[in-house]
Amino acid sequence: MSPKALVSSSPVRAFLAVEVRRRRPELIAAALAGAVTAASATLLLGLSGWFLAGAALAGAGGPAAIAAFNYLLPSAGFRALALGRTAGRYGERLLGHQAALKALAELRPALFSGLAAGPPERSLALSSGEASARLVQDVAAVETAFVRRSAPWGAMAAAGSGAAVIALASPAAAVAFLIGLAAQILIGRGLAKRLTDEAGRDGLRAAGRLKDGLNAYALASAELRCFDLVEPAVRALMVHDAELGRAGLRRDDGQAVLGLLQAAVTAVTVVMVAALAAHGPMALAALAVLATLAGLDGAAGLVAAAQQDGAYREAVERLDEAAAATPAADPRPIDRNTPITLDGHRLAAGERIALVGPSGCGKTRTFEALLGLRTAPAGRLRLGETPLESLPIGAARPLLAHAPQDARLLTGTVAENLRLGRPDADDDAFWAVLEDAQLAARVRRLPEGLDSWIGDGGEQLSGGERRRLSLARALLRDAPWLLLDEPTEGLDAHTEAALVAALDARLTRTGQGALIISHRPAPLRLCGTTIDVDGRP
Amino acid sequence: MNPNDVKADRRYLASLARESGGAAWPRPSLALLDAAAAAGFALALTLVLTQRAPPLALLGLTLALVVRALAGWGRARLAARRALKVKSAVRARVLRAALRRRRGDEAALGETTAAAVDEVEALGGYFSLYEPAQVESRLTPIAIAAAVACASPIAAGLLLLTLAPFAFVMAVAGGAAGAAAGRQLEALARLSGQFVDRVRALPVILAFQAEARETEDVAEAAREVSRRTLSVLRVAFISSAALEFFSALAVALVAVYAGFGLLGLLPFKTPETLDFPRTFFALALAPEFYAPLRRLAGAYHEKQLGEAAVSRLRPLLERQAEPAPALSTLDGPPLVSLDGAALTFGDVEIGPVDALFPAGGLSAIVGPTGSGKTSLLAAILGLTPLTSGTVRVNGLNLEDAGGFADVAAWAGQSAVFLPGTLTDNLMAAAPGVTADQALDMARRVGLGPALDRRAQGGDTPLDERGSGLSGGERRRLALARALLKPVPLLLLDEPTADLDAAAEAEIIALILDAAGTRTIIVATHAEVLAAAAQTVVRLA
Repeated sequence: MSPKALVSSSPVRAFLAVEVRRRRPELIAAALAGAVTAASATLLLGLSGWFLAGAALAGAGGPAAIAAFNYLLPSAGFRALALGRTAGRYGERLLGHQAALKALAELRPALFSGLAAGPPERSLALSSGEASARLVQDVAAVETAFVRRSAPWGAMAAAGSGAAVIALASPAAAVAFLIGLAAQILIGRGLAKRLTDEAGRDGLRAAGRLKDGLNAYALASAELRCFDLVEPAVRALMVHDAELGRAGLRRDDGQAVLGLLQAAVTAVTVVMVAALAAHGPMALAALAVLATLAGLDGAAGLVAAAQQDGAYREAVERLDEAAAATPAADPRPIDRNTPITLDGHRLAAGERIALVGPSGCGKTRTFEALLGLRTAPAGRLRLGETPLESLPIGAARPLLAHAPQDARLLTGTVAENLRLGRPDADDDAFWAVLEDAQLAARVRRLPEGLDSWIGDGGEQLSGGERRRLSLARALLRDAPWLLLDEPTEGLDAHTEAALVAALDARLTRTGQGALIISHRPAPLRLCGTTIDVDGRP
Repeated sequence: MNPNDVKADRRYLASLARESGGAAWPRPSLALLDAAAAAGFALALTLVLTQRAPPLALLGLTLALVVRALAGWGRARLAARRALKVKSAVRARVLRAALRRRRGDEAALGETTAAAVDEVEALGGYFSLYEPAQVESRLTPIAIAAAVACASPIAAGLLLLTLAPFAFVMAVAGGAAGAAAGRQLEALARLSGQFVDRVRALPVILAFQAEARETEDVAEAAREVSRRTLSVLRVAFISSAALEFFSALAVALVAVYAGFGLLGLLPFKTPETLDFPRTFFALALAPEFYAPLRRLAGAYHEKQLGEAAVSRLRPLLERQAEPAPALSTLDGPPLVSLDGAALTFGDVEIGPVDALFPAGGLSAIVGPTGSGKTSLLAAILGLTPLTSGTVRVNGLNLEDAGGFADVAAWAGQSAVFLPGTLTDNLMAAAPGVTADQALDMARRVGLGPALDRRAQGGDTPLDERGSGLSGGERRRLALARALLKPVPLLLLDEPTADLDAAAEAEIIALILDAAGTRTIIVATHAEVLAAAAQTVVRLA
């Protein structure tokens, strides 16, 4: 599916609608199978009751009545219903999941390309752990809802077949049954969120505080041990645990109340049906009360789906907001020699420029604006003669190779990360940039060299090593300008000097220009020009 | 995963519940109450049918349903409280283990945080949903069969007979096939993680114009996840189908047996008398026989999450407590000696180092980033394990002493505090430190202006990281705390980082002043500080 399919008032709903159409045969089959299962379960119990009552009457009526009683049909019915229930369940589960999984395999790439094409600030917001965790939860909620698509159909079959057989005994009882079911669904829809949502949010916040506190203490285990503070620290952290526990308890208790309310509705429904049906013929009355029990049980899926409905709607809304794609940028190629103008300075090819200014003045934001990771401020940046803000988002990207302050690595291998810089580079090119970034020796020591797995976001490397790998990746990119944001932060003087010398040699050799942000003197010595940034947002 | 590990995890979960979950009796009692109410319900329903809805029977029906609703509510509340107790007890243990752990790499820290928060939370569902369902699935079918037996022992026998083939099918579906599925799921988790990873890295992907390629990668991984999940599910759903089949079989067997018995057409002679009320009672209870097992299957996800969590928590919790340091006092500043001391941190090898840190002197450990200065410092206290060699304080071997944290003070790179006031935190340095002494020391390390600037002075509240204080102020506060502890061995990790030249000189003067009565070892980048030291150890 193309990113364009996401353009609509609710792109996610539109996407799901397309997928539902594509998977229609499987979804219909799954719904039918679910309906067979639920109807079989309802009818099986109803039929059993009817059969029992009929047999009791015939048994009391003597040999002639027994001979007249047709037991072959009900026995065949038992077999068919038991089989239908089993096969139906397997079919429903498998077909439903098959359709859902195939459809959802397309959801993630569609969302991803929507995110990539979206307004620039969004991608920066999502690089924080909490925002991306939220996104994943929302995707999971949508997936769950898709998998459960067949549940309402099965539940409706349970309700329908239940109502039909109850009506044989008493139409009024059938109405009572349907009213009871409707009440359960309304309770599920209306109260589930109210009873549990706020507690869920409080829980997330408390968990965040607990994580923060533990991270702070765990890094200072030596201090805790020296001053005998381990137990006080555990007590301080357990305050957050208590908050988290209270929130969880409120959520669980809310769910318990919901269960209680639904059980109460079930009770009223069953008693009403029993009272209304008991005045008809006994066989039909037996059929009706047992069908009520099975019908309510079978409709539990519908009630559960109603409970999750609120969460699903919210998830879709958030995903819509996240993945609504602006039309794809015009991919018109840009001339590599297009000059960049920054605050009135026209950058000469190969120039090395230091961006300076007090912290918080917007040096990093200037880089991000150039890269189209945030909206360009009016009038400060030009590409050729055109103000950057009037060009498509990311128009300047082909000219730039970025080593950000926060070295964000892909979960994968060293080589996979480097390949981001140049997809077709060979190992020699990799080693050359690793040498320049002063990381080659470290990578050589890794168990599988370039193909070593560096963990989640590169967590198996130290902070300084992650930064240098990010730098190596930028060096590999064939672009006329390097954007280096604090390239030597956290390095010792010796490594810093070696890195700066290697950068100097490389820039001289390739004729690349560089824009450098640093609060350390060594990298700034590379620069011939200084631009004082005053880009208050 | 090794099946033995899974069993050990299950045993461990059970032991956690025993130790910290509180009384176990209410759950079986509630399950039995629920089963009794189910029987009462079936009885009342039979009376409603056979006696044309007498008010008393309708009342009984209502009562039975109310009891069931309340039993379910009580069960949910009890289970939630039990889960809460277990979670808190486990979390306290994980936190203690995390804060007492020997120093490891950053990755281990991330795992520890995840363990203390997310993995412990995952136990919640196990104890609030799965465990009660499990208790019920063991008791309720038997209780229901017993109630059915009151009306028709043979019908009860038929119900019980279906359990054996049911258990067999479940064992086959859940056994070998389940283990294979478990292995698949681990690989799947990795693939599913790729999406969120690429979302987090989106700024970089955009800057490198790699969005098209990464979208293709995300799509490929998602398709692979869907294909492999489906092959796992094909097996997993056999158990749902089996559950459905046996639920149906239970009802059908009772109906066929009772119906043909009432017609007198059974091919054998029943030792019991069958009439409609008895058989209807049995039939009305038949669906209840498998209902708890279906609820148990519904909580399968919670079970998986809980077991996965405990398999990751167990190594952390079972780790042996370190021996308590035996050395309690030192008379005067000690001589610290390293003899071929070597250690590893992450995959960096440090040492072997030979060094003599003179008593009452200032010594410095210097070396490039990542050469292991902090680790060596921590090793002197016994907080990072040595791979070879020895550390001695006044000739006493580290291994024999069990660690020197008791007789040393430490100021680290990222100072932490307890929630409380600035003064409280300084007073926590050692028992017996008064507020006056604490504030006095704060001023000596140059925190005077910081105290005067703040309206609350020494009563300024701090959180864990000392938010609200500047980096330099946090460093001085940590130094004040270290100097307040009356011990003759002082270890300082980068005491002058982030400081300008004037502040650096001030702190160095303070450190030199404290030497003499203390043996001081610093790990530092700063050439000025190293130049002030009597002994310098260089790490390569």
